[in-house]
Amino acid sequence: MERLYFWPTNPAASLFTLWILSQVFLYAARVPVHRALREVGRLLGGVFRIGARWCRGLAGVAARRDHEMIVEMGKGDTEAKIGREFHRIEGAFAKELARYPDLHRKIDDVVTKVDADFQECATAAPAAPGWTEAVAAVAKLPPNMDSTVKKVMEEIQKSAVAGEKKALQEFREATAKKHKVLSSMAPAWKELQKLSTDVARAVTGALEATKRIDGFMGSYEKVRAADSKAIRALGWNATQLFVVSLLVMAVALGGAFVNFNLIALPMSELVPSGSRIGGMPVATVAALVVVLMEIAAGVFAMEMLGITSFFPKLELLPKSRRRIILVVALGGLFMLACIEASLAVLREQIVESSTALKASLAGVHETAVVQTASSRIPVVGQAVLGFILPWILAMVAVPLETMISTGGHIVLSAASGLLHLVGMICRLGGHGMRYLCEGARHLYDIYIVIPLQIERLVGSGARGGAAVALRGQGARQ
Amino acid sequence: MNRALIAAVGLFAGSCSSGSQYAQAIVALVDVSGTYADQRPEVVNVIRKGVLPHLTPGDTLVVIRIDSESYRKDNVEAHMTLDVRPSKANAQKLQLAGALDAFSHKQLRAAHTDIRGAMMLGAEYLRETNAGRRTMVIFSDMEEDLPRGVKRDMAADELKGVRVLAMNVKRLNRDNANPTAYRARLAGWEKQLTAHGAREFKVVLEPDKLADLLDEG
Repeated sequence: MERLYFWPTNPAASLFTLWILSQVFLYAARVPVHRALREVGRLLGGVFRIGARWCRGLAGVAARRDHEMIVEMGKGDTEAKIGREFHRIEGAFAKELARYPDLHRKIDDVVTKVDADFQECATAAPAAPGWTEAVAAVAKLPPNMDSTVKKVMEEIQKSAVAGEKKALQEFREATAKKHKVLSSMAPAWKELQKLSTDVARAVTGALEATKRIDGFMGSYEKVRAADSKAIRALGWNATQLFVVSLLVMAVALGGAFVNFNLIALPMSELVPSGSRIGGMPVATVAALVVVLMEIAAGVFAMEMLGITSFFPKLELLPKSRRRIILVVALGGLFMLACIEASLAVLREQIVESSTALKASLAGVHETAVVQTASSRIPVVGQAVLGFILPWILAMVAVPLETMISTGGHIVLSAASGLLHLVGMICRLGGHGMRYLCEGARHLYDIYIVIPLQIERLVGSGARGGAAVALRGQGARQ
Repeated sequence: MNRALIAAVGLFAGSCSSGSQYAQAIVALVDVSGTYADQRPEVVNVIRKGVLPHLTPGDTLVVIRIDSESYRKDNVEAHMTLDVRPSKANAQKLQLAGALDAFSHKQLRAAHTDIRGAMMLGAEYLRETNAGRRTMVIFSDMEEDLPRGVKRDMAADELKGVRVLAMNVKRLNRDNANPTAYRARLAGWEKQLTAHGAREFKVVLEPDKLADLLDEG
């Protein structure tokens, strides 16, 4: 600063001169500076506005992609559900229809039997022909008849009474027989009822499945029509699934960490190498590979069980081959679990040995070391943990698949939101820049306020003088 | 496709490296001359408690005796690189502890103190290990007294990358009378060793801190 002084011995005069010069210079440069500030403001505002528009455009693209993804996901999901229902119905129908000829034959047999029994019940012994007319003719005879006729009548009465008795006896016997037939029909009725219940159950199941399919078809149509409510629901559902799978994955990661630590130390006994890969000892890498292999085996097992669908090619394999892969995956998992259990035991031995060594080097009495290491609980616990953890890790395939399938939606949603936010900030920045340049212009004017005021006074004085001159000229005229 | 394969193979090969650069090499210089000669059992105890348990598979420990002429191979009392198997490494540690015990019971007393000779020998061993972390622990009063005719001129990069820890420096009678002389002696060593490439020179008073310092690397 002092180098700018005109008179170093008199700083006040120098500063005053500098101020005067700056006032003069800035007053002279006022118009171009104002123009420059306005242009700069416009330029910066434009840049921010373009940035905001670009962000908004990208956010729109991301949102569209997200929308498309959700629609496709929803369609795929609903199609899978419908497919599963059809598969169930197919299974049920195949089972029921396979049974149907047998069922039908059974029902036919039972109905025929019941019909026959019923027919048998309905048959009654026919009455003797003309017997009724004869009785009517005898009944019309006058009562005052001769003894011969009377005797004949008495004989007829006797034979009628005997016939009635016999008929009654026969009727009772027939009725008893019919009752017996009817009682023998009861099991047939029961069987018929049971068969009807079976048929009703199958039909009800089919109807319920149809209802479910109807529901799925409804939601499928909504998704196809890109109904906003359905899309929102799908988006929320995907977010929910992502969060849950993320939590499960975090827990699984913890399990993997424990598992890794369990086998990392004893692995150095199995894979003795001084080399390193990416800064990590080979033994550590080997332990990591074992953990990853367990996860891979779990992925294949879940794939073959039909729980996940990472590899579409594997779904096309025949059942027998799928079963072979499943057995191989489960067998591999079992082997790895056994290896881990044995490594866990080895680890405990190494730790015990190291503890004893440290104690020995420190001069601690050996018995104290032996006493602390005598419990077998840690060994058993570590072995069990080493055996169980691989199976738990194998389950990670399910949340992994869910996380991958829903991750796209989350990423696109987050990107869209972030771009919207950046766009908003850019718009605010654009406004801010415009007003900042405006403010700078005002500050500039404030700094040179004295020359500006002088200019105003001179301007108004000149205008006032001209007016007075004009007024004087008018008075003279 | 081929390029990608070559790149992948190159990346894998590049990521593979020898484990020695991650290992630690420690050289312990033990003074057996003058007033420090009777400190040997204590020094061995410090090595047993503070150094040996903290060595991991692949690490190296060399114990060198400081006597009248220390730049002789005979001055190496113990030299061991631990096996990569933890069980074998533990056995080696026990063996080394035994060797150190034997060293502590030896009848040794040198007339002169050739610290720099031991340092030069130790530096050679450290260079040979190619270890990533190299530490020299000196158990001495840091008072050098070379016999007549013995010259010790260290190269400019003699101790390049080596961390020097002066452990359990015994104060001489005249140091107690004039602590400034003691401090000046240590400052002189620091200046000299850092001039020859030492990464750091540190005086450690508490033996318990040695393990932490070694872990820091």
